[in-house]
Amino acid sequence: MTPAEVRDAVVTGAVVLDMRPPKPFALEHLPGAVNFQFNRADLAERAEMSLPHDLTYLIHAEPDPIATVAIGILSKAGFHVEGYLEGGLKQWKAEGLPTEALPLLTVDELNDKLDRYHVVDTREGFEFRFGHIPGATCLEWTEPWETMEHLGIDKPLALVCGDQVRSAYVASVLQRAKKDASLVFGGMVDWLERGYPVEKSPKKTKAPNS
Amino acid sequence: MIMKQFRFEPLAQASYLIGCPRAKEAVIFDPIDDMGAESYVLEAADLGLTIIGVFETHIHADYISCARALAEMNDVPHYLHESATELVKYAFTPFAEGQVFDVGGVRITTIHTPGHTPEHTSFLVTDTARSNEPWCVLTGDALFVGDVGRPDLLLGDQALDVMDETTRAETLYRSVKDRLFALPEHVEVYPCHYGGSTCGGVNMSGKAASTIAFEKRFNLAMRKETPTEFAAFVKETAKPFPADYERIKSHNLGLTSRDEITRAAV
Repeated sequence: MTPAEVRDAVVTGAVVLDMRPPKPFALEHLPGAVNFQFNRADLAERAEMSLPHDLTYLIHAEPDPIATVAIGILSKAGFHVEGYLEGGLKQWKAEGLPTEALPLLTVDELNDKLDRYHVVDTREGFEFRFGHIPGATCLEWTEPWETMEHLGIDKPLALVCGDQVRSAYVASVLQRAKKDASLVFGGMVDWLERGYPVEKSPKKTKAPNS
Repeated sequence: MIMKQFRFEPLAQASYLIGCPRAKEAVIFDPIDDMGAESYVLEAADLGLTIIGVFETHIHADYISCARALAEMNDVPHYLHESATELVKYAFTPFAEGQVFDVGGVRITTIHTPGHTPEHTSFLVTDTARSNEPWCVLTGDALFVGDVGRPDLLLGDQALDVMDETTRAETLYRSVKDRLFALPEHVEVYPCHYGGSTCGGVNMSGKAASTIAFEKRFNLAMRKETPTEFAAFVKETAKPFPADYERIKSHNLGLTSRDEITRAAV
């Protein structure tokens, strides 16, 4: 699809699935796009676990051959995919269409300003219980569309996972819903490597300064 | 470091993806058109990696390269040794001997190893996350497992005015002996071809990985004491020329288009 066709489809409710890795996604993406990283082995399974079936999707992947393969996989899994953005971001910008960014945080920045953020850990429950950033809320990556309304919005959200794939997905869904979400790049791997504190007890809600 | 070897069995050809799991970046070495540029793109995407460059050890004579197509598809540089400027009819990004490329925490260092062809380069790979010592070397068609590249595929290289078969063989001997065998012995060897390929002699192993130490001890061609003996041995143990060698080389030099190759093959 041309950039103009993609823009028009988005206006009528289609959701852009941006299949690039989290870093290029965070730096610049189509407004409202959801970051869902490509992988032939488990794309169908992950989509099944997390993406709503009642939406219409458009693919943004780079370069284009990835998009055609992604459409095949998602269509076979029963998702309605209308097409893909031909020529990627370069073409989109050449038409003068707007983009947005997802704010990035390093683990050092998060550690310095931990009291200013509501940390949302998007790993699965067992990973969360094994050790998480003190005060973090567990919001499994499989359920952001349903449960994001229950998130406290007293503070900006800082999304974390093992690295940044699942957290970027959830962060993008939250950003799409106009929430103030940042992506913690490097995730728990970097956090643990720095020797920053972790909490092993499960917590469902934020308990600041406790 | 992420490293993946792709084997195209009909031509016993090996291409490589090397990337950094932190930076999420990768480069591709010696991609083959039979697998298709898309297949490398999909493999990198499966690993969550962005392709930032395409390297070739040399201009190949036995298979159609898709390095240009892959580089163009990803809007990234296609790298060849600077001496290839004299040979090819298309634009590429030249590198020099000893040039260093950082792919996140993975360091690629070029080692000019002429002989199989004048521009032939090996790539030394260091995973700086683990050590500042090199881990492996992509030896292209200079050093194979148990054998070496053939020095008699001369077409298209006349521009460099270097080469009869014997001179090339002697050059190759020096490249392997003085450059590759000077590397630490633990360094792993990853060639562009393995047993069954016509780019080497009859002693190539079907195993597409080795070490400098093993090749120093057991590579039959390299056990020759002098360049002269080596040249004679390489000539004696050479296979027939690769099928379609002239047309393939012409294409990879940019002298003919892909369509012409396909038409001629039909």
